[in-house]
Amino acid sequence: MRLWDDPAPGEREAGDRSWDVVRDGYEERIRVPRKRDWRPIAIAAAAAVVVAGAVTSPGHAVFGSLRDAVRGEPNAAPALFSLPTPRSRLLVNSARGAWVVQSDGSKRLLDGYRDASWSPHGLYLIALNGKELRALEPNGDVHWSVGRAGVASPSWSNEGSGDERVAYLAHSTLRVIGGDGRGDRALARGIARVAPAWRPRTHVLAYVDGTGKIVVRSADTGAIQWSSAAQQQSNGLEWSGDGRYLLARGRSSITVFNYTGRERLTPLGPSAAPVVDAAFLPLSHALAFVQRAAGRSTVWFYPQLRPDATAARRVFTGAGDFDRIAWSPDARWLVLSWRSADQWLFIRSAAVRKVIPVSGIQEAFGPDAVPAGWCCP
Amino acid sequence: MAGSRGDERAWIRGAQSGSVSDLEALFRHHWPRAYRAAYLVVHDSAAAEDIAQEAFLAAVRGLDRFDRRRPFGPWLHRIVVNRAIDWSRSRALRRESGDAWLGLAEAPAPPESEHAQTLAAALADLSPEHRAVIVMRHLLEYTPGEIAKALGLPRGTVNSRLRRGLDELAGRLEQDLQ
Repeated sequence: MRLWDDPAPGEREAGDRSWDVVRDGYEERIRVPRKRDWRPIAIAAAAAVVVAGAVTSPGHAVFGSLRDAVRGEPNAAPALFSLPTPRSRLLVNSARGAWVVQSDGSKRLLDGYRDASWSPHGLYLIALNGKELRALEPNGDVHWSVGRAGVASPSWSNEGSGDERVAYLAHSTLRVIGGDGRGDRALARGIARVAPAWRPRTHVLAYVDGTGKIVVRSADTGAIQWSSAAQQQSNGLEWSGDGRYLLARGRSSITVFNYTGRERLTPLGPSAAPVVDAAFLPLSHALAFVQRAAGRSTVWFYPQLRPDATAARRVFTGAGDFDRIAWSPDARWLVLSWRSADQWLFIRSAAVRKVIPVSGIQEAFGPDAVPAGWCCP
Repeated sequence: MAGSRGDERAWIRGAQSGSVSDLEALFRHHWPRAYRAAYLVVHDSAAAEDIAQEAFLAAVRGLDRFDRRRPFGPWLHRIVVNRAIDWSRSRALRRESGDAWLGLAEAPAPPESEHAQTLAAALADLSPEHRAVIVMRHLLEYTPGEIAKALGLPRGTVNSRLRRGLDELAGRLEQDLQ
């Protein structure tokens, strides 16, 4: 019957994408040795828990969280057994140190490190240890370090040619050092203790000065490209992946500037509920943000940059505190840290096609564990 | 579809022994109907991709236990169609619960051919349960008895759903379905 033989929309492309995922799943499977002891039973039990979490219906997840909020999501896996995106790695910062979690769930503690973040291709981390800024490999091998008092908020540029820089704060001074550990110098003094943000594919930095203005400046020449009028103090800055927009997160506001600073959108005004975190979807101008109000927290998704928040969609609501969100590198998953429930939720796309809850975060990673970056293969 | 029953047994045997190329042959052979079946039940290309992909991942996880004397398709299709029904039901529940943003979720991509468009539009008027039995009967070409077994339904229920569903489709698809 000819009618039934027509391809469905997207059939071929979906097949190509899915083959990559299925092949990864198969290769993971054939790497697992078969053993005739108690371990297969334990693995099967663990897998059953993961599957139970994986098939939690999205509707149940959303409304369950409102109804049964104290304990978090039901059917949560008791530990993080794997990441939903193959060949990716999740960086976690906690009071014990920085953790690098592989897609198969194995993890390594970089003891005593804090404020860790990925280099552009995930080959290195930049992190703090005591009073030192260190560039190290995910296995803990340190490539270089520099000692400064009051170090905070290091971040790697993503210029693209391999000529990278690292920006960091030393008390209220913004400093920049080469990716090879050379050429450390001060770029600006008297700035706010807010993590600076590199504009992708450039050596241009955005930071918040001591008066609350956002300043966009070349780290190579020191030239200021633009600065914003004073506004609600920004607590976080982030560029969209294409460098066209800069997001400034205030205590209860979100402001988005275009890269020239001449256009400005305020999707969330200063009278809104407190904003805890916000993040652009990779390779997109869509963004997700977390608000906290009346004992509840909500993740919202804003599919397009618009002048107000009326088009924001609610992704997930739960009692207590959410604190961080991070997108997977393929933009298909969002991980949400739900501190009050000691859970992380892996949410499949902003349309909540699937929710994988994972509990026991504090036991696994230590206190104050938050996802700090979900990196490239 | 190309690929005989003997080919399929060889692919399964190869995949069980660690051959990625045999697994790929099995995947390429079964993907179009698995995806199409999911799409025709859920009417959402992203969800269809998830459902078909997860069915294959479940198949990979269970590959060692699979009896290669049995055909692979029915096993896969049972997973696909049941998950597609579950997905459609959960979406309907969310709509009833008044979660407004869900109505804004990604619109499905338009069907690529006139026939596919006609079919998708006609099926959209049916419940997911009716869509599922019609898809299993006419796309996947199972008998009512096989459909009953796959979906865990009495055979009489399958027959009545087929009759009612086809009656509703008849006005729009009369020529194609006869």
